[in-house]
Amino acid sequence: MEAVATHPAVQEKSGLPGDFAIWIFIYAELLVFGVFFLAYAFTRARHVELFNTFQQTLNRESGAINTLVLITSSYFVVMAVNAIRRNAAKRCSQWLVLAILGGGVFVVIKLAEFSAKHAEGVTLSTNTFYMFYLSLTFFHFMHVLMGMVILSVVAVKAHRGDYSAEEHTGVETGASYWHMVDLVWIVLFPLVYVLH
Amino acid sequence: MDKAGYRALRVWLALVVLTLVTYAAGRAGLGGRLVISGLLLSVLIKGQMIADVFMGLKGVRSPWRWMVTGWLLVVVTLIGVAFS
Repeated sequence: MEAVATHPAVQEKSGLPGDFAIWIFIYAELLVFGVFFLAYAFTRARHVELFNTFQQTLNRESGAINTLVLITSSYFVVMAVNAIRRNAAKRCSQWLVLAILGGGVFVVIKLAEFSAKHAEGVTLSTNTFYMFYLSLTFFHFMHVLMGMVILSVVAVKAHRGDYSAEEHTGVETGASYWHMVDLVWIVLFPLVYVLH
Repeated sequence: MDKAGYRALRVWLALVVLTLVTYAAGRAGLGGRLVISGLLLSVLIKGQMIADVFMGLKGVRSPWRWMVTGWLLVVVTLIGVAFS
């Protein structure tokens, strides 16, 4: 109860949208992904030829389409937050459903990509490039799934009328997490699929 | 659509264009220091737009907004160093 009681004061002080706790989580996640990205970049610096060669085997089109899907899904989430700020709970829920569908498209494309690599016999131990490619993209993939679960809960609650223009912390909290997933992919796509 | 909606739409369009430029550079097989610098700059721009407009951090007090900007700057700069 104490945490709930102190929450508005914390939010007032920070000005961050949504629950303050999600931001601690977001900053921690960014730190982990940041370390992962730098590990990839500096390991690549020692194996440039290997990384450049096997990067060519990736499906760049899938990566680009998934980037477009995620930023579009993020846009839908922004519209959901805008809707609830105007007290349009049902509209908020509809935007969230579109965002979740976007997440679903991302998941299907990513699974097809993983499946193609699996069929080629690629595993984590194939080489250093694939170790990074599979672990980085799978780690991000799990965050997409987690984001879809969070957005689904928020969408159901919005549809039930649990949020209003005055109280919609839950919508902003879910939105912040989803945008973090998008932000991380914005770095991951060029790093793993394009830069050489 | 209200003002915030139009701003989000403009950011979405900018993100789409920058993503297509990144993809085109990869498809064309472009590399080298200049291309890498340009693509990393576009990552910075895209990331800051997502933080400011999508995440809604533009009007947020320090240090919260700057922690995301700082993360982007450090990560992108060090990736640039590793690729140079």
